[in-house]
Amino acid sequence: MNCPRLKDWLEERYDLNAIKELAKGKLIPEHRWDLWYYTGGITMFLFIIQFVTGMLLSLYYVPHIDFAHKSIIEIVTKLNMGWFFRSLHHWGAQLSIVFLFIHLFGTLLTKAYRKPRELVWVTGFILLGLSIFFGLSGYLLLWDERAFAAVRVATGGAGAFPFIGWFIKAFLRGSMDVTGDTLVRFYAFHVAILPLITLGLVGLHLILVQAHGMSVPLSLEKEKRREAPFFPNVFYKDLAVWLVVAGVLATLAVFFPPEIGAKADPLAPPPEDVKPEWYFLFLLQTLKLFPGSILGLNGETIAILLVSGAILFFFLIPFFDRKSSRGEKSPVFTWIGVIYLLYFLTMTLVGFLS
Amino acid sequence: MKLKYSLVTRRTFLNTLFGGWLFAFFSGTFYALMRFAFPTLGKEPDFVVLNKKDFTDLANNSIKRFPWGGTVGLYFTKTDGSVLALKGVCTHMECNVDYKPAEKKFYCACHQGWFDENGRNVAGPPPKPLEVFVITEEGEKLIIAKKGVKVELPKA
Repeated sequence: MNCPRLKDWLEERYDLNAIKELAKGKLIPEHRWDLWYYTGGITMFLFIIQFVTGMLLSLYYVPHIDFAHKSIIEIVTKLNMGWFFRSLHHWGAQLSIVFLFIHLFGTLLTKAYRKPRELVWVTGFILLGLSIFFGLSGYLLLWDERAFAAVRVATGGAGAFPFIGWFIKAFLRGSMDVTGDTLVRFYAFHVAILPLITLGLVGLHLILVQAHGMSVPLSLEKEKRREAPFFPNVFYKDLAVWLVVAGVLATLAVFFPPEIGAKADPLAPPPEDVKPEWYFLFLLQTLKLFPGSILGLNGETIAILLVSGAILFFFLIPFFDRKSSRGEKSPVFTWIGVIYLLYFLTMTLVGFLS
Repeated sequence: MKLKYSLVTRRTFLNTLFGGWLFAFFSGTFYALMRFAFPTLGKEPDFVVLNKKDFTDLANNSIKRFPWGGTVGLYFTKTDGSVLALKGVCTHMECNVDYKPAEKKFYCACHQGWFDENGRNVAGPPPKPLEVFVITEEGEKLIIAKKGVKVELPKA
C-alpha cells in the first residue's frame, strides 16, 4: 500500500508514529510452549467469522414460532450460497467452542493466569460462558425437536437452582414453558445482547493482553530466551494459521452440512436418540450420576449446586493459587487442572458414546 | 470544614447526598429495566375442556395427546380399558414423555426415565411420579382438571 498523499493527509492530523512505534516495540517470546499463543488468535478469527456469517443469516431468518423452522429451510434450499453460510455459521460455532476450551486449558496448564494477569483470565472465562449461551440460544433458533428438548432441559436445569432458580428459568423462557416467547427472547440474546457484550469484553481482553505482554510459563521464566517482533513476524504466522483454520472450516462446512430436525411440536416427545450439543454432554453425564433424591433432598438441586461450585472454583483459580502468583512452582494446581481436563474429556466421550 | 456542633464534615455530607442520588437513580433505572425484561407469566391451567367424542374410541393400551397450557397432557387407556389422564411432562427435566405400549410404560428419552401405567417413577432419574389429573364428563365435554381444583365452567 503506497499512497503518499493519503499518508501525508493523515500524518498532518494524527500522530501515526506512535502506532508505528507500538507495532515495532511489541515483542513475542519464543519458547517450547509458544504454540499456545496462537489459540487465542484463532478463537478471535472464528468470532469474526461468526459475526459476519451471523449478519448474513439475520437478513433472512424470521424469529417467529410459525416461520422460524421454515425460514432456515429456505435459507439452505433457496438462497444463493445459503447452505454454505448456514453451514459455516454452524461449524464456526463448533470450532469456536473447541478453541475456547483449548485456549482455556492452555492458559490453565501454563499458569498464564497468575499475577498480574488475573483479570485476563476473568474476562476470558466470562467470554467462554457467553459463548456457551451463544450456542444454546443459537440452536433454539432452528426450532426443531432437538433444540426444543435441549432448551427445556437447560432452562429447567437452571430452575433447579435453589432460591433464584425459578427467576432465572422464567427470565430465560419468557413464559412458564418453552414457547414462542422463548424463541423471540433467545433471538434477542443471540443477535443483539450477547454480541454487544462479547464485543466489549473481547476488546477489554485484548487491551489487557496488550498491557501485560505475553505470559511466559513459570518453568521458562528464568531462562534466557529469544523474542520475535509481533509485526511482521508473528503477525504473519498468525495469518498463516488462520488460513489453515479457514480451510478446515470451509471443508467441514461443505462436506458435513448440519442437519435440521423436524419442526418442534410442544405436544410430541423428543426423538429417541436426543442428545445435546457436545459441550453440554459432560454436564448431562454428571447429572446422570445423581439419583432422583439424596437423603430426602432433590438430587437435581444437589447436582446443580455441586457443578456450579466446581465451575466457580475453576473461575477463581487465579485467586486461590497463591504459590504461582508469588512466582513459585505450584504442582497442586497443575494436578487440579489436569483433573478438570480429564473429567471434561472423559465425560464428553462417555456422553458421546452412550 | 466541620462546624462546631455538626456530626459530619461538609464534604462527607455532600458526598453522601450525591452518592445517594446516584444510587437512587441507578437502582430505580435498573429496577424499571428488570421489571420490563422479566415477563408477565401465564399460569398453568387448572383444567382444560375437551370434546368427548375425540377421545371415546381410543384403543386400549394407547395414548392421545392434548394441549395442557404450554405443555402436553396424555389421555391414556390402559390394557383393561380403564382411563387415566396425566401430565405428559417428565418430572426430572421437563421433557415430554412417550408411551411404550410394548413395555406398558411411559418413557422419557432425554435421560432414560421410566414411569409405570399409573405414572409412578420406576426407573431412571425422575424424582416424582407423573401428575395425574381428574377426569369428569359433562354432556359432550370432557373436563380434565388438576386434583383438588373446583371446576367452574363459564356459562355458555
